[in-house]
Amino acid sequence: MNKTVNQKAWFFVVPVFVLVAFNAIIPLMTVVNYAFQETFGNNVFMWEGTRWFKQILISERFHAALGRQVLFTLIILVIQIPLGIFIALNMPKEGIGVPICLVLMSMPLLIPWNVVGAMWNIFALPDIGFLGHSLNAMGFDYNFTQQSGDAWFTTILMDVWHWTSLVVLLSYAGLRSIQPAYYQAAEIDGATRWAVFRHIELPKMKKVLTIAILLRFMDSFMIYTEPFVLTGGGPGNATAFLSIDLVKMALGQFDLGPAAAMSLIYFFIVLTVCWVFYNLMMKNESQL
Amino acid sequence: MIFTNSFASDTNTWGSVAETQKKGFFDFEFITWMAWTWQTAAFFLFIILCFVVMVLWEKKKPGGSPRRGVLGLDTTRGDRLFISLLSSAYIHLGWLGLIGPMLWIATILSFIFAIFVFRYV
Repeated sequence: MNKTVNQKAWFFVVPVFVLVAFNAIIPLMTVVNYAFQETFGNNVFMWEGTRWFKQILISERFHAALGRQVLFTLIILVIQIPLGIFIALNMPKEGIGVPICLVLMSMPLLIPWNVVGAMWNIFALPDIGFLGHSLNAMGFDYNFTQQSGDAWFTTILMDVWHWTSLVVLLSYAGLRSIQPAYYQAAEIDGATRWAVFRHIELPKMKKVLTIAILLRFMDSFMIYTEPFVLTGGGPGNATAFLSIDLVKMALGQFDLGPAAAMSLIYFFIVLTVCWVFYNLMMKNESQL
Repeated sequence: MIFTNSFASDTNTWGSVAETQKKGFFDFEFITWMAWTWQTAAFFLFIILCFVVMVLWEKKKPGGSPRRGVLGLDTTRGDRLFISLLSSAYIHLGWLGLIGPMLWIATILSFIFAIFVFRYV
């Protein structure tokens, strides 16, 4: 059968292209322009060449922010992915429990980021917050506004509370799509619970888990609002992740040039990770 | 807003900061805040040129010549262009961070690497 080639269909892409041009391409081009220049505002720009890139690449501050960001993302993934799978495995498969669990799981996902930050800020306040006050009453010296360890603990706990449900919902969907015949075969073979998980459930969930890890990576790598509202990057710079540090530099100090250079480096890291995940997903597709 | 009613001009001095400036023929408000320079414009023109060449190449030899390269990945021409561009960014950044001067050597390295990618990856 001969397919007719009709390139006119590309015109349907024009509206999306215009939209993307205004919210992504033109701003990105501007960032590239700013990364090579110095400005004091007033639309006056001075050429600086590659100075900002050199400055950012050797700056302690950038290394520290990047380190914190990578550490945060790793901790988030290490906690949320196994926890999400564990919860999904233990969720009811039929009956009234299913809708109740699904709705309860979806609730944190529906709350806006800044509200999550504000909620957890009040919840964790050492003097009046339920969590903070209880921990102190139990004898823990807990104060997330002053101790960086506590700030990290609270930020991670908040993110786990907010986003584990996403992993749960995706894993649950993956689990529900497994045919009962697989379980029956495993039962006949006398497979242990672990063997069922390792050789049936995990391979079947591979696709959704790749997407879950990608989504959780992206969201935690660009996290801004929640820690900004909760800790404001503090105490000191303890929870100033990449985007918080970037905004501090761009808007707080009005160092548009270095901030633009930093955001381009940030962009390259994100692009690389996305590319790796894209290839992993394509490999999954070709296997199944 | 920071960038309202003022337009790029080389007559800006501290004495004239607060004054409203005359709008020249080429001072579109749309374009001045983008702060174009010929260097960055040349960079984006190069990227666009790459796309045009890819389109022409596709016209000449359709299908994108997919293959499994040395990395064990299934790549087409577009993937190879993407890998080349992204790695050239890393090569330039690495050069700036580790070595510093004579950035053009990094550019030459990037081109050599791009040729390698288009041949074998």
